[in-house]
Amino acid sequence: MRKLTIIGGLIVVVLAVAVYRAKLGAEETQGEIDTLSAEASSIGKDIAVMKAEEAYLTRPERIGPIARQKLGLEQATPGQYTASEALSRRLGEERLTLPPVEEASPTSAPAPKEVKSREVQSGQ
Amino acid sequence: MMSFDRPQEDVWGPRRARIVAGMLAMVFVVIVGRSAYVAMNGPEQAASSGHAAVAATRRADIVDRKGELLATTVPGWSLAANPSAIWDAGEIASELKSVLPKLDLIGLTAQLSDRKRQFVWVQRGLTQEEKDAVFGLGVEGLQFVEEARRVYPRGKLAGHFLGYTNIDGEGLEGSELAFDARLKAGGEPLKLTLDASVQFVLEEELERAFADFDMKGGAGVVVDTHSGAVRAVASWPALDPNRRGDFSADVRANRALNSRFELGSIYKPLTVAAAMEAGVLTPQDRFDVSAPVKIGAALVKDPHPLPNAKSVTAGDILAHSSNIGTALIAQRMGVERQKDFLRSVHLLGGQSHEGPQTASPLTPEVWDATAMATVSYGHGISVSPLAFAMTYTAFGNGGNYVSPVFVEPVDAAQVEKSQVMSADTAAKVMTMLRETVTRGTGKNADAQGYEVAGKTGTAEKPGPDGYDPNKNITSFAAVFPASRPQFVVLVVLDEAQPRRGDQRTASYTAASIAGKVIARAAPLLDVRPVLTASRAEAASLRVSEATTP
Repeated sequence: MRKLTIIGGLIVVVLAVAVYRAKLGAEETQGEIDTLSAEASSIGKDIAVMKAEEAYLTRPERIGPIARQKLGLEQATPGQYTASEALSRRLGEERLTLPPVEEASPTSAPAPKEVKSREVQSGQ
Repeated sequence: MMSFDRPQEDVWGPRRARIVAGMLAMVFVVIVGRSAYVAMNGPEQAASSGHAAVAATRRADIVDRKGELLATTVPGWSLAANPSAIWDAGEIASELKSVLPKLDLIGLTAQLSDRKRQFVWVQRGLTQEEKDAVFGLGVEGLQFVEEARRVYPRGKLAGHFLGYTNIDGEGLEGSELAFDARLKAGGEPLKLTLDASVQFVLEEELERAFADFDMKGGAGVVVDTHSGAVRAVASWPALDPNRRGDFSADVRANRALNSRFELGSIYKPLTVAAAMEAGVLTPQDRFDVSAPVKIGAALVKDPHPLPNAKSVTAGDILAHSSNIGTALIAQRMGVERQKDFLRSVHLLGGQSHEGPQTASPLTPEVWDATAMATVSYGHGISVSPLAFAMTYTAFGNGGNYVSPVFVEPVDAAQVEKSQVMSADTAAKVMTMLRETVTRGTGKNADAQGYEVAGKTGTAEKPGPDGYDPNKNITSFAAVFPASRPQFVVLVVLDEAQPRRGDQRTASYTAASIAGKVIARAAPLLDVRPVLTASRAEAASLRVSEATTP
């Protein structure tokens, strides 16, 4: 009986220590969670402030003049739109179109050079 | 006697052992049970920590349709004091007043003198500069309390429509009020249908209008004709919700939604459409508008005689904005059919939608022949600019009135629409509206390439002594592009007086501004210009290429 009592007592002590350690571990984990949550909350607030600053700095009334003065950008006007049929002529791209594969032959190889020279001429 | 010789512990020993064993067993069970409880419930307790709860209640941001930030919540500071820790309340109040000039010195001194209290607010919603200034005073008994602060980083942009909150984060005006429950729930940003770029264009053009016209106020709306999505809604003078306390009640009024105007001749296309739907008008019908007509008690006149006034069509009546012609059309239709049509486009009330609400209309108390005549050209009936803009959606989408939509995503299947005119009537009126711009009073609105179709409106303002001929509400309502309508634009100016010259009709004021808005907003709304010239150019290029040796 005494042995049983001693064994039981030992088991209780071991379990008590184990529970205490588990509790301590849980508290530590909770502390880490709280720290991380606080950090996440703080970072979230920083992000909110930075997003607000970004929105403030990209206000159209601020960006517009900068884009005009520094980059020479202007809003597209209807005159700058064109039909796709006219686009190739406007850009001189018709001359850059390579011949179809089946028509290509060694004698037609110099064509790109000619294109380049004409492109330069048109640019002048 | 033998029993007295037997030691007592020998009798009770086994029982004690059993009792101890039983107690140990109970402790064992408790410990095992507690271990199991900790093991199983630990993570749940962690999830309900204070930080998580705080994060969940952060008021949601407001963004435009492209995700551009319009309203957000950032950390802010408020100043509190502990009167029981303050010895000289008057001196501290004076020092605080020197850096926080809005403080009420007498009231604050009284509060700080109450040494029974341990907490009083001094000022909430401090800026960083104010916080630094107070911190620099080095005064005892003060504390800074971190509080969420609602900010509007784009300043005046959509200020009226966004509205604002109070210091406790409760919506008081505009979208902040209309969507308060949704915003308080936190989570994903509230995505409005507004387009910040188009909103800026509209507001900037209203602001620039002030350079040309001395005006009391203005409003503008840009709406998708098919979905009812409101892409821009502006009220001038603009309001910065960050500094709402600095603006007068007149500036804080949202003229686009909450003000009512007699909008004048922009009603005429509605009268024409209603008469066509009633079967009493065709585009070929002709009217004699050469002389004033008396309808009821109203003597209807035209401010300027029309060309060929003895025989004009409905198209001519719209193009040259004839009051006489419109009243004659209304006379054919009659009061009841006129009212039925206006009711169908919600100009007599009954319009409801999700989001900030509009002012209810003011309609004639007695709708007799006189009222019928004046309402036909937009007098005697007052509505908000937004409510009116929605009526023109029917011209641009085949005859359906659509309700305004303020929140993305816009589900085409869920759009509230009602057929108020046939597609044929809508198309015919669109043709007339386009002619009004190409050959009539709306020429100044003709943004190159965007086929503007619209109608001018100039209405004298009602006053205590009747209508004042020197004070006008000028307006222009447009649909563009006419060949494939996509958007409605409405511009309304209150008492616009030109700073140079004396032309104060809508042709020179509102129409001009609407044209500028359309020219700038159309590319932002992905509206391609009509490429008539470019096609001709392409054709000529082909011809010249073919003939080039």
